[in-house]
Amino acid sequence: MLSPQTPETKPVKLSVRNMDFRYGEKKVLDGLSLDIHAERVTAIIGPSGCGKSTFLKCFNRIHEVSSAVKVSGDMQIDGVDIYRGGIDEVDLRRRVGMVFQKPNPFPKSIYENVAFGPRLFGMKDKATLDGIVEDALRKSALWDEVKDRLKESATGMSGGQQQRLCIARALAVNPEVLLMDEPCSALDPIATAKIEELIVELKENLTIVIVTHNMQQAARVSDYTAFFWLGKLIEMDLTERIFTTPRERMTEDYLTGRFG
Amino acid sequence: MPDAPDSLLEAPPCASDPAQESLVLESLPKEPAFRHSRLQRLADRWSHLLFLACGLLVVALIGGILYFLAARGVGAFMPLAGNTDKILTLKEVFLSTDWDPNSGKFGILPFIAGSLSVTGLALLIAAPAGILTGVFIAKLAPGWMKTLMRQVMDLLVGIPSVVYGIFGLMVVLPWVSGKWLSDSPAAGFAVSAAILAVMIVPTIVSLSTDAFESLPLTLEEGSQALGSTRWQAIWHVLIPAARPRLLTATVLGLGRAIGEAMAIQMVIGNNPQWIALMRQSTDQTPILRFLFTPAATLTTELVQELPNTAAGSTWNNLLFAMGLLLYLMTMLIILATRRLGRQRNA
Ligand SMILES: Nc1ncnc2c1ncn2[C@@H]1O[C@H](COP(=O)(O)OP(=O)(O)OP(=O)(O)O)[C@@H](O)[C@H]1O
Ligand SMILES: [Mg+2]
Repeated sequence: MLSPQTPETKPVKLSVRNMDFRYGEKKVLDGLSLDIHAERVTAIIGPSGCGKSTFLKCFNRIHEVSSAVKVSGDMQIDGVDIYRGGIDEVDLRRRVGMVFQKPNPFPKSIYENVAFGPRLFGMKDKATLDGIVEDALRKSALWDEVKDRLKESATGMSGGQQQRLCIARALAVNPEVLLMDEPCSALDPIATAKIEELIVELKENLTIVIVTHNMQQAARVSDYTAFFWLGKLIEMDLTERIFTTPRERMTEDYLTGRFG
Repeated sequence: MPDAPDSLLEAPPCASDPAQESLVLESLPKEPAFRHSRLQRLADRWSHLLFLACGLLVVALIGGILYFLAARGVGAFMPLAGNTDKILTLKEVFLSTDWDPNSGKFGILPFIAGSLSVTGLALLIAAPAGILTGVFIAKLAPGWMKTLMRQVMDLLVGIPSVVYGIFGLMVVLPWVSGKWLSDSPAAGFAVSAAILAVMIVPTIVSLSTDAFESLPLTLEEGSQALGSTRWQAIWHVLIPAARPRLLTATVLGLGRAIGEAMAIQMVIGNNPQWIALMRQSTDQTPILRFLFTPAATLTTELVQELPNTAAGSTWNNLLFAMGLLLYLMTMLIILATRRLGRQRNA
């Protein structure tokens, strides 16, 4: 984990400036500015309904599938504007993967779920696909449980298994950024520990933004932590500083559970 | 003990037993805020019986029709009381294409093949068209168009088939004949199937729109989050996910198509010897001959000849047997498709 003594060496991967976000007329995010560094884990924390999921979805523009939204301000990936730059949303989503708050496996077999992304990009070779599927399932700590029933439908799995399948599905396309919305909320402690190990492992070559309600988890896996409240960024800093010496009174209250 | 209570439910807690009283007091508020009146309970019991009776009535009706068709139908194959007419073998009926009742030829293969051909062709047109329209309405159309198209489809479902038949007869037949066939008659499978397809498309559209709208949005999000385009999400995720219900939509269309008589009868040409005629003629490619030779189906022959044959005659009995066959074919197709849907879905 990054500590206050070592200077940041990684470049900025995602940058957000003066970003407002509206569902229709309803303003949900208000004047956000922050940077997310490459190959670091950034945790987003804050009370329910403060806009964490919404914020995450801005990075892959996935809310455009279902809602009429308005985004103003700037959001960039590697210096290219996500909304007005030369990048279209399909290319963007190939680079920025997402694990949703609620698991959403396709009603297909376990294998087909993981192979879905690679197949989209034209991967046909059976042996390579098998390799990708196995690798992704191993990383998401699911392989041992499902290796003998890859042909079975994913909708018959438990909620926690489905969530890990969704993680595998996202990893199979090899994204540059991984957005994870409470990936462990349905997992038992063992699977949670494995996913946390995975996150630490993945950041070797991946940028990770994770929303979590579990403060210990944020403290364990993240390099940076951002605290949101009512659609505003209250404070963002190195995780170590946020959890030991936060600048804002509000952050401290939230972390110590004295929030009201 | 004064008045015995009518039912246990109404019985007051027994005052002589203090232990039981306190138990009742703990578990129930003293005066229940809401209580079913006796009338309501009576109505409840009666409505239960009513539903049961309706259910039984439907079953009895279906069984009755089946029995009626079978009882008359077997008359063609075995001597019934008072029947002095010709007795047929199963082979000369089901395995022969030779239909000429006046000289004792009763092969019904042309009708079976006719029914299957026209239904198959109609589905070939209607299923893809209906499902794609369903996708369009559910996923791509703007709000106002969605409402409009849904209402139009619901209206179209209710149009009586004779109307389609008249339209086919007065408009489509002359048009096809004049435009494509240098004025030779256009009656046959092509126009029949087209009319039939138009008839069943609204049913398929309606049901497949429902199928797509009932899919959770999270599926589409999941697909697009992996970098699929909107169309890829539709093809590779939404259509497979909706498949069981799309199959049901198609089967319901099929059910309507295979049993349809009025509309087709007006445009098919009603020619039981169509197989022979098709074989003889050589003026066009086989596929065109197949599409434009006047033909007949089980249903068209039924409505055509049932009023013209004497009750109890072999011909008449055979028509009932054909009715039974139609009934069984429909059942079989529905059961087979159900099973198929379940397997695919597993
Ligand atoms: N599709 C939508 N249309 C309109 N409003 C929405 C939509 N999705 C979310 N909102 C609103 O936006 C606000 C932020 O929601 P969001 O889901 O981002 O919160 P969150 O921080 O992720 O909460 P939680 O911790 O409970 O997941 C809420 O007030 C919510 O009601
Ligand atoms: Mg959320």
